[in-house]
Amino acid sequence: MLPNLKVENLSCVRSNKVVFENINFEVFPGENLEIIGSNGSGKTTLLRTILGLIKPEKGIINWLDENDKFNDFRTFECFYQGHQLGIKNLLTVYENLQLTHGAKGMDENKIYECLERVGLMHINELASNLSVGQRKRISIARWLVKNFKIYFIDEPFSALDDEATSMIEHLIQELNSKGCSFVITGHRPSQVKANRISI
Amino acid sequence: MFGSIFSWLNIILKRDLLIAFRKSSTYITPLVFFLIVVTFFPLALGPQESLLSSLAPGVIWIAALLASLLAVETIFSDDFRDGTLDEFFISLEPSFILVFAKVLIHWLITGLPILFASLIAAIVLYLPFESFIPMLLSLILGTSFMSLLGALGAALSLGRSAILSAIIVLPFSIPTLLMGTSVISSSLTNQDFSGFLMIMGAMLAIGIPLLCLLTVEALLLNYE
Repeated sequence: MLPNLKVENLSCVRSNKVVFENINFEVFPGENLEIIGSNGSGKTTLLRTILGLIKPEKGIINWLDENDKFNDFRTFECFYQGHQLGIKNLLTVYENLQLTHGAKGMDENKIYECLERVGLMHINELASNLSVGQRKRISIARWLVKNFKIYFIDEPFSALDDEATSMIEHLIQELNSKGCSFVITGHRPSQVKANRISI
Repeated sequence: MFGSIFSWLNIILKRDLLIAFRKSSTYITPLVFFLIVVTFFPLALGPQESLLSSLAPGVIWIAALLASLLAVETIFSDDFRDGTLDEFFISLEPSFILVFAKVLIHWLITGLPILFASLIAAIVLYLPFESFIPMLLSLILGTSFMSLLGALGAALSLGRSAILSAIIVLPFSIPTLLMGTSVISSSLTNQDFSGFLMIMGAMLAIGIPLLCLLTVEALLLNYE
Protein backbone atom coordinates (compact mmCIF):
# COMPACT_ATOMS: atom_id res chain seq x y z
CA MET A 1 0.00 0.00 0.00
CA LEU A 2 1.27 3.47 -0.89
CA PRO A 3 1.19 6.39 1.54
CA ASN A 4 -1.12 9.33 0.76
CA LEU A 5 1.56 11.72 1.94
CA LYS A 6 5.34 11.40 1.97
CA VAL A 7 7.52 14.07 3.60
CA GLU A 8 11.29 13.94 3.11
CA ASN A 9 13.98 16.08 4.74
CA LEU A 10 11.58 18.94 5.36
CA SER A 11 13.14 22.02 6.93
CA CYS A 12 11.70 25.42 7.66
CA VAL A 13 13.45 28.67 8.53
CA ARG A 14 11.53 31.73 9.68
CA SER A 15 13.10 35.10 10.53
CA ASN A 16 16.58 33.50 10.20
CA LYS A 17 15.67 30.92 12.86
CA VAL A 18 15.47 27.20 12.11
CA VAL A 19 11.97 26.10 13.16
CA PHE A 20 12.49 22.42 12.30
CA GLU A 21 14.82 20.48 10.06
CA ASN A 22 15.07 17.13 8.29
CA ILE A 23 11.57 15.94 9.13
CA ASN A 24 10.68 12.62 7.49
CA PHE A 25 7.43 10.69 7.67
CA GLU A 26 4.77 8.95 5.64
CA VAL A 27 1.02 8.91 6.17
CA PHE A 28 -0.70 5.70 5.05
CA PRO A 29 -4.49 5.37 4.53
CA GLY A 30 -6.23 4.60 7.83
CA GLU A 31 -3.12 5.36 9.89
CA ASN A 32 -2.33 8.31 12.11
CA LEU A 33 0.72 10.40 12.84
CA GLU A 34 1.16 12.32 16.05
CA ILE A 35 3.65 15.18 16.18
CA ILE A 36 4.84 15.75 19.73
CA GLY A 37 6.59 18.89 20.85
CA SER A 38 6.65 21.63 23.45
CA ASN A 39 5.20 25.11 22.97
CA GLY A 40 6.93 26.95 20.14
CA SER A 41 8.66 23.83 18.84
CA GLY A 42 7.12 24.33 15.39
CA LYS A 43 4.24 21.83 15.35
CA THR A 44 1.76 24.31 13.86
CA THR A 45 4.37 25.59 11.40
CA LEU A 46 5.00 21.99 10.29
CA LEU A 47 1.30 21.40 9.61
CA ARG A 48 1.00 24.70 7.73
CA THR A 49 4.16 23.96 5.73
CA ILE A 50 2.84 20.56 4.65
CA LEU A 51 -0.45 22.16 3.58
CA GLY A 52 1.36 24.78 1.52
CA LEU A 53 0.55 27.82 3.64
CA ILE A 54 4.25 28.31 4.46
CA LYS A 55 7.13 27.74 2.04
CA PRO A 56 9.69 25.21 3.30
CA GLU A 57 13.40 26.02 3.27
CA LYS A 58 14.13 22.59 1.77
CA GLY A 59 12.64 19.15 1.55
CA ILE A 60 10.02 17.32 -0.47
CA ILE A 61 6.28 17.02 0.19
CA ASN A 62 4.74 14.37 -2.06
CA TRP A 63 1.04 13.64 -2.37
CA LEU A 64 -0.38 10.51 -3.93
CA ASP A 65 -2.78 11.11 -6.81
CA GLU A 66 -5.58 8.90 -8.17
CA ASN A 67 -3.14 7.27 -10.61
CA ASP A 68 -0.87 6.15 -7.74
CA LYS A 69 1.77 8.70 -8.69
CA PHE A 70 3.47 11.10 -6.30
CA ASN A 71 3.24 14.82 -7.02
CA ASP A 72 4.35 17.97 -5.23
CA PHE A 73 0.75 19.22 -5.52
CA ARG A 74 -2.37 17.85 -3.89
CA THR A 75 -5.31 16.46 -5.86
CA PHE A 76 -7.54 15.54 -2.92
CA GLU A 77 -9.24 17.59 -0.22
CA CYS A 78 -7.71 17.68 3.25
CA PHE A 79 -9.21 18.99 6.46
CA TYR A 80 -7.25 21.46 8.58
CA GLN A 81 -8.20 22.56 12.06
CA GLY A 82 -5.78 25.08 13.50
CA HIS A 83 -5.80 26.89 16.83
CA GLN A 84 -8.34 29.30 15.35
CA LEU A 85 -11.23 27.02 14.67
CA GLY A 86 -12.79 28.88 11.74
CA ILE A 87 -16.00 29.37 13.70
CA LYS A 88 -18.03 32.49 12.92
CA ASN A 89 -19.41 34.18 16.04
CA LEU A 90 -22.37 35.74 14.22
CA LEU A 91 -23.58 32.45 12.76
CA THR A 92 -25.58 29.84 14.62
CA VAL A 93 -24.23 26.37 15.35
CA TYR A 94 -26.23 25.00 12.40
CA GLU A 95 -25.10 27.74 10.00
CA ASN A 96 -21.48 27.29 11.02
CA LEU A 97 -21.70 23.75 9.77
CA GLN A 98 -23.97 24.38 6.80
CA LEU A 99 -21.85 27.22 5.40
CA THR A 100 -18.44 25.56 5.40
CA HIS A 101 -16.60 24.50 2.33
CA GLY A 102 -16.75 20.80 3.17
CA ALA A 103 -20.53 20.90 3.62
CA LYS A 104 -21.10 21.91 -0.01
CA GLY A 105 -24.26 20.25 -1.24
CA MET A 106 -24.91 18.44 2.04
CA ASP A 107 -28.53 17.89 3.04
CA GLU A 108 -30.13 19.17 6.24
CA ASN A 109 -30.46 15.74 7.89
CA LYS A 110 -26.77 15.01 7.52
CA ILE A 111 -25.95 18.34 9.21
CA TYR A 112 -28.27 17.50 12.15
CA GLU A 113 -26.70 14.05 12.34
CA CYS A 114 -23.15 15.48 12.50
CA LEU A 115 -24.14 17.94 15.25
CA GLU A 116 -25.88 15.21 17.20
CA ARG A 117 -22.79 12.99 17.01
CA VAL A 118 -20.72 15.65 18.80
CA GLY A 119 -23.45 16.39 21.34
CA LEU A 120 -24.46 19.83 20.10
CA MET A 121 -28.19 20.25 20.70
CA HIS A 122 -28.62 24.05 20.70
CA ILE A 123 -28.31 24.34 16.95
CA ASN A 124 -29.91 27.79 16.73
CA GLU A 125 -27.59 29.31 19.32
CA LEU A 126 -25.11 31.91 18.04
CA ALA A 127 -21.54 30.62 18.25
CA SER A 128 -20.58 33.74 20.22
CA ASN A 129 -22.65 32.41 23.15
CA LEU A 130 -20.79 29.10 23.29
CA SER A 131 -17.85 28.05 25.46
CA VAL A 132 -14.45 27.24 23.95
CA GLY A 133 -15.19 23.52 24.34
CA GLN A 134 -18.55 23.79 22.57
CA ARG A 135 -16.98 25.79 19.74
CA LYS A 136 -14.43 23.03 19.40
CA ARG A 137 -17.30 20.54 19.12
CA ILE A 138 -18.64 22.49 16.09
CA SER A 139 -15.26 22.15 14.52
CA ILE A 140 -15.22 18.43 15.28
CA ALA A 141 -18.68 18.09 13.68
CA ARG A 142 -17.06 19.41 10.50
CA TRP A 143 -14.82 16.33 10.41
CA LEU A 144 -17.93 14.31 9.71
CA VAL A 145 -19.48 16.32 6.88
CA LYS A 146 -17.40 14.42 4.38
CA ASN A 147 -14.64 11.80 4.48
CA PHE A 148 -11.42 13.69 3.90
CA LYS A 149 -8.36 11.58 3.07
CA ILE A 150 -6.15 13.30 5.65
CA TYR A 151 -7.17 15.40 8.64
CA PHE A 152 -4.57 17.82 9.98
CA ILE A 153 -5.63 18.71 13.51
CA ASP A 154 -3.60 21.06 15.68
CA GLU A 155 -3.85 20.04 19.34
CA PRO A 156 -7.24 18.29 19.09
CA PHE A 157 -7.41 17.48 22.80
CA SER A 158 -6.79 20.95 24.24
CA ALA A 159 -9.69 22.69 26.09
CA LEU A 160 -11.80 19.51 26.13
CA ASP A 161 -13.26 17.51 29.01
CA ASP A 162 -12.78 13.75 29.40
CA GLU A 163 -16.05 12.93 27.64
CA ALA A 164 -15.14 15.01 24.58
CA THR A 165 -11.62 13.59 24.55
CA SER A 166 -12.98 10.07 24.48
CA MET A 167 -15.49 11.08 21.77
CA ILE A 168 -12.63 12.38 19.60
CA GLU A 169 -10.65 9.19 20.09
CA HIS A 170 -13.66 7.15 18.97
CA LEU A 171 -14.27 9.40 15.97
CA ILE A 172 -10.65 9.12 14.89
CA GLN A 173 -10.90 5.34 15.17
CA GLU A 174 -14.15 5.33 13.19
CA LEU A 175 -12.72 7.53 10.43
CA ASN A 176 -9.54 5.41 10.37
CA SER A 177 -11.69 2.38 9.61
CA LYS A 178 -13.01 4.27 6.55
CA GLY A 179 -9.44 4.80 5.33
CA CYS A 180 -9.04 8.36 6.61
CA SER A 181 -5.76 9.38 8.25
CA PHE A 182 -5.03 11.92 10.96
CA VAL A 183 -1.97 14.06 11.48
CA ILE A 184 -2.34 15.52 14.96
CA THR A 185 -0.11 17.55 17.23
CA GLY A 186 0.20 17.59 20.99
CA HIS A 187 2.48 18.29 23.92
CA ARG A 188 2.45 14.67 25.05
CA PRO A 189 1.42 11.36 23.44
CA SER A 190 -2.33 10.84 23.36
CA GLN A 191 -4.36 7.62 23.58
CA VAL A 192 -4.80 7.62 19.80
CA LYS A 193 -3.12 4.74 18.01
CA ALA A 194 -0.53 6.54 15.90
CA ASN A 195 3.04 6.68 14.68
CA ARG A 196 4.83 9.43 16.59
CA ILE A 197 7.55 11.91 15.79
CA SER A 198 9.03 14.53 18.09
CA ILE A 199 10.13 17.97 17.05
CA MET B 1 -16.36 21.75 -12.20
CA PHE B 2 -18.33 24.98 -12.74
CA GLY B 3 -21.15 23.59 -10.61
CA SER B 4 -18.69 23.09 -7.77
CA ILE B 5 -17.31 26.63 -8.16
CA PHE B 6 -20.80 28.17 -8.18
CA SER B 7 -21.83 26.16 -5.16
CA TRP B 8 -18.72 27.40 -3.32
CA LEU B 9 -19.38 30.98 -4.44
CA ASN B 10 -22.94 30.57 -3.16
CA ILE B 11 -21.70 29.36 0.26
CA ILE B 12 -19.31 32.33 0.66
CA LEU B 13 -21.95 34.85 -0.45
CA LYS B 14 -24.65 33.42 1.81
CA ARG B 15 -22.34 33.17 4.81
CA ASP B 16 -20.84 36.66 4.52
CA LEU B 17 -24.16 38.35 3.77
CA LEU B 18 -25.71 36.71 6.85
CA ILE B 19 -22.82 37.94 8.98
CA ALA B 20 -23.01 41.43 7.47
CA PHE B 21 -26.74 41.73 8.16
CA ARG B 22 -26.28 40.57 11.75
CA LYS B 23 -23.53 43.17 12.25
CA SER B 24 -25.48 46.18 11.03
CA SER B 25 -22.60 48.63 11.51
CA THR B 26 -20.94 47.06 8.44
CA TYR B 27 -23.47 48.54 6.05
CA ILE B 28 -24.95 51.39 8.11
CA THR B 29 -21.64 53.16 8.86
CA PRO B 30 -20.67 53.86 5.20
CA LEU B 31 -24.24 54.89 4.41
CA VAL B 32 -24.50 57.34 7.33
CA PHE B 33 -20.99 58.65 6.65
CA PHE B 34 -21.90 59.33 3.00
CA LEU B 35 -25.10 61.16 3.93
CA ILE B 36 -23.40 63.23 6.66
CA VAL B 37 -20.58 64.37 4.34
CA VAL B 38 -23.03 65.28 1.57
CA THR B 39 -25.46 67.18 3.82
CA PHE B 40 -22.64 69.18 5.46
CA PHE B 41 -21.96 71.02 2.19
CA PRO B 42 -25.32 72.86 1.97
CA LEU B 43 -25.00 73.65 5.67
CA ALA B 44 -21.52 75.10 5.25
CA LEU B 45 -21.94 76.85 1.89
CA GLY B 46 -25.56 77.97 2.11
CA PRO B 47 -28.51 76.99 -0.06
CA GLN B 48 -27.40 78.62 -3.37
CA GLU B 49 -28.72 76.23 -6.01
CA SER B 50 -26.18 77.06 -8.74
CA LEU B 51 -23.18 76.73 -6.42
CA LEU B 52 -24.34 73.44 -4.92
CA SER B 53 -25.25 71.84 -8.24
CA SER B 54 -21.89 72.81 -9.73
CA LEU B 55 -20.12 71.25 -6.72
CA ALA B 56 -22.40 68.18 -6.63
CA PRO B 57 -20.31 65.87 -8.90
CA GLY B 58 -17.18 66.33 -6.80
CA VAL B 59 -19.00 66.20 -3.46
CA ILE B 60 -20.93 63.03 -4.31
CA TRP B 61 -17.89 61.26 -5.68
CA ILE B 62 -15.49 62.20 -2.86
CA ALA B 63 -18.10 61.16 -0.28
CA ALA B 64 -18.68 57.89 -2.15
CA LEU B 65 -14.95 57.12 -2.36
CA LEU B 66 -14.34 57.79 1.33
CA ALA B 67 -17.48 55.93 2.43
CA SER B 68 -16.61 52.86 0.37
CA LEU B 69 -13.20 52.74 2.07
CA LEU B 70 -14.72 52.57 5.55
CA ALA B 71 -15.50 48.86 5.44
CA VAL B 72 -12.42 47.88 3.41
CA GLU B 73 -10.43 46.68 6.40
CA THR B 74 -13.07 44.07 7.26
CA ILE B 75 -12.99 42.36 3.84
CA PHE B 76 -10.45 39.73 4.93
CA SER B 77 -9.53 40.58 8.53
CA ASP B 78 -12.22 38.46 10.25
CA ASP B 79 -11.48 35.44 8.07
CA PHE B 80 -7.75 35.89 8.72
CA ARG B 81 -8.24 36.14 12.49
CA ASP B 82 -10.60 33.17 12.89
CA GLY B 83 -8.75 30.80 10.56
CA THR B 84 -11.35 30.71 7.76
CA LEU B 85 -8.84 32.14 5.31
CA ASP B 86 -6.55 29.15 5.97
CA GLU B 87 -9.42 26.81 5.06
CA PHE B 88 -9.98 28.69 1.79
CA PHE B 89 -6.35 28.38 0.74
CA ILE B 90 -6.13 24.73 1.78
CA SER B 91 -9.24 23.78 -0.18
CA LEU B 92 -8.76 22.90 -3.83
CA GLU B 93 -11.18 25.61 -4.99
CA PRO B 94 -9.71 28.55 -6.95
CA SER B 95 -8.69 31.40 -4.61
CA PHE B 96 -9.77 33.83 -7.34
CA ILE B 97 -13.40 32.89 -6.60
CA LEU B 98 -12.95 33.68 -2.91
CA VAL B 99 -11.59 37.15 -3.69
CA PHE B 100 -14.29 37.79 -6.28
CA ALA B 101 -16.99 36.79 -3.78
CA LYS B 102 -15.46 39.03 -1.12
CA VAL B 103 -15.39 41.99 -3.53
CA LEU B 104 -19.00 41.35 -4.51
CA ILE B 105 -20.07 41.26 -0.85
CA HIS B 106 -18.17 44.46 -0.10
CA TRP B 107 -19.95 46.16 -2.98
CA LEU B 108 -23.35 44.85 -1.85
CA ILE B 109 -22.88 46.16 1.70
CA THR B 110 -21.22 49.49 0.86
CA GLY B 111 -21.60 50.34 -2.84
CA LEU B 112 -25.28 49.44 -3.15
CA PRO B 113 -26.46 51.48 -0.11
CA ILE B 114 -24.36 54.39 -1.41
CA LEU B 115 -26.23 54.16 -4.74
CA PHE B 116 -29.56 54.60 -2.96
CA ALA B 117 -28.18 57.35 -0.73
CA SER B 118 -26.79 59.18 -3.76
CA LEU B 119 -30.37 59.87 -4.85
CA ILE B 120 -30.93 61.76 -1.59
CA ALA B 121 -27.57 63.49 -2.07
CA ALA B 122 -28.57 64.51 -5.60
CA ILE B 123 -31.76 66.14 -4.28
CA VAL B 124 -29.94 67.88 -1.42
CA LEU B 125 -27.32 69.25 -3.82
CA TYR B 126 -29.90 70.40 -6.44
CA LEU B 127 -28.59 68.06 -9.11
CA PRO B 128 -31.01 68.21 -12.08
CA PHE B 129 -33.15 65.12 -12.61
CA GLU B 130 -31.51 64.46 -16.05
CA SER B 131 -28.19 63.84 -14.28
CA PHE B 132 -29.55 61.11 -11.99
CA ILE B 133 -29.06 58.25 -14.45
CA PRO B 134 -25.47 59.23 -15.44
CA MET B 135 -24.68 59.67 -11.74
CA LEU B 136 -26.05 56.20 -10.88
CA LEU B 137 -24.24 54.57 -13.82
CA SER B 138 -20.93 56.18 -12.88
CA LEU B 139 -21.40 55.14 -9.24
CA ILE B 140 -22.22 51.53 -10.16
CA LEU B 141 -19.02 51.22 -12.20
CA GLY B 142 -16.89 53.36 -9.89
CA THR B 143 -17.88 51.85 -6.55
CA SER B 144 -17.40 48.35 -8.00
CA PHE B 145 -13.88 49.30 -9.04
CA MET B 146 -13.32 50.81 -5.59
CA SER B 147 -14.33 47.51 -3.99
CA LEU B 148 -11.73 45.73 -6.13
CA LEU B 149 -9.06 48.25 -5.16
CA GLY B 150 -10.21 48.08 -1.55
CA ALA B 151 -9.77 44.29 -1.51
CA LEU B 152 -6.18 44.69 -2.72
CA GLY B 153 -5.51 47.35 -0.08
CA ALA B 154 -7.11 45.16 2.61
CA ALA B 155 -5.00 42.16 1.55
CA LEU B 156 -1.79 44.20 1.61
CA SER B 157 -2.54 45.66 5.04
CA LEU B 158 -3.95 42.48 6.63
CA GLY B 159 -3.27 42.37 10.37
CA ARG B 160 -1.95 45.94 10.31
CA SER B 161 -3.52 49.36 10.91
CA ALA B 162 -6.90 49.93 9.22
CA ILE B 163 -5.79 53.34 7.92
CA LEU B 164 -3.01 51.67 5.92
CA SER B 165 -5.47 50.13 3.46
CA ALA B 166 -7.02 53.58 2.83
CA ILE B 167 -3.56 55.07 2.25
CA ILE B 168 -2.76 52.30 -0.24
CA VAL B 169 -6.08 52.59 -2.09
CA LEU B 170 -6.69 56.35 -2.29
CA PRO B 171 -3.92 57.27 -4.80
CA PHE B 172 -5.14 54.53 -7.16
CA SER B 173 -8.71 55.79 -6.93
CA ILE B 174 -7.86 59.13 -8.60
CA PRO B 175 -8.70 57.93 -12.17
CA THR B 176 -12.09 56.64 -10.93
CA LEU B 177 -12.73 59.97 -9.20
CA LEU B 178 -11.83 61.93 -12.35
CA MET B 179 -13.98 59.77 -14.63
CA GLY B 180 -16.90 59.67 -12.21
CA THR B 181 -17.03 63.42 -11.70
CA SER B 182 -16.59 63.96 -15.46
CA VAL B 183 -19.66 61.83 -16.18
CA ILE B 184 -21.88 63.93 -13.88
CA SER B 185 -20.31 67.26 -14.93
CA SER B 186 -20.80 66.40 -18.62
CA SER B 187 -24.43 65.54 -18.02
CA LEU B 188 -24.88 68.91 -16.24
CA THR B 189 -23.65 70.75 -19.34
CA ASN B 190 -25.55 68.43 -21.72
CA GLN B 191 -22.32 67.02 -23.19
CA ASP B 192 -21.74 63.41 -24.23
CA PHE B 193 -20.61 61.42 -21.20
CA SER B 194 -20.61 57.95 -22.77
CA GLY B 195 -16.84 58.01 -23.39
CA PHE B 196 -16.14 58.43 -19.67
CA LEU B 197 -18.54 55.61 -18.82
CA MET B 198 -16.82 53.35 -21.38
CA ILE B 199 -13.43 54.07 -19.82
CA MET B 200 -14.87 53.25 -16.38
CA GLY B 201 -16.39 50.05 -17.77
CA ALA B 202 -13.05 49.10 -19.34
CA MET B 203 -11.27 49.76 -16.02
CA LEU B 204 -13.74 47.47 -14.29
CA ALA B 205 -13.47 44.75 -16.96
CA ILE B 206 -9.67 44.73 -16.69
CA GLY B 207 -9.78 45.23 -12.92
CA ILE B 208 -11.88 42.15 -12.13
CA PRO B 209 -9.34 39.53 -13.28
CA LEU B 210 -6.21 41.60 -12.68
CA LEU B 211 -7.00 43.00 -9.22
CA CYS B 212 -8.52 39.70 -8.01
CA LEU B 213 -5.34 37.85 -8.97
CA LEU B 214 -3.14 40.54 -7.38
CA THR B 215 -5.26 40.31 -4.23
CA VAL B 216 -4.76 36.53 -4.07
CA GLU B 217 -0.99 37.07 -4.28
CA ALA B 218 -1.16 39.83 -1.66
CA LEU B 219 -3.09 37.53 0.69
CA LEU B 220 -0.52 34.77 0.25
CA LEU B 221 2.23 37.23 1.26
CA ASN B 222 0.72 37.19 4.76
CA TYR B 223 1.63 33.52 5.09
CA GLU B 224 5.31 34.01 4.18
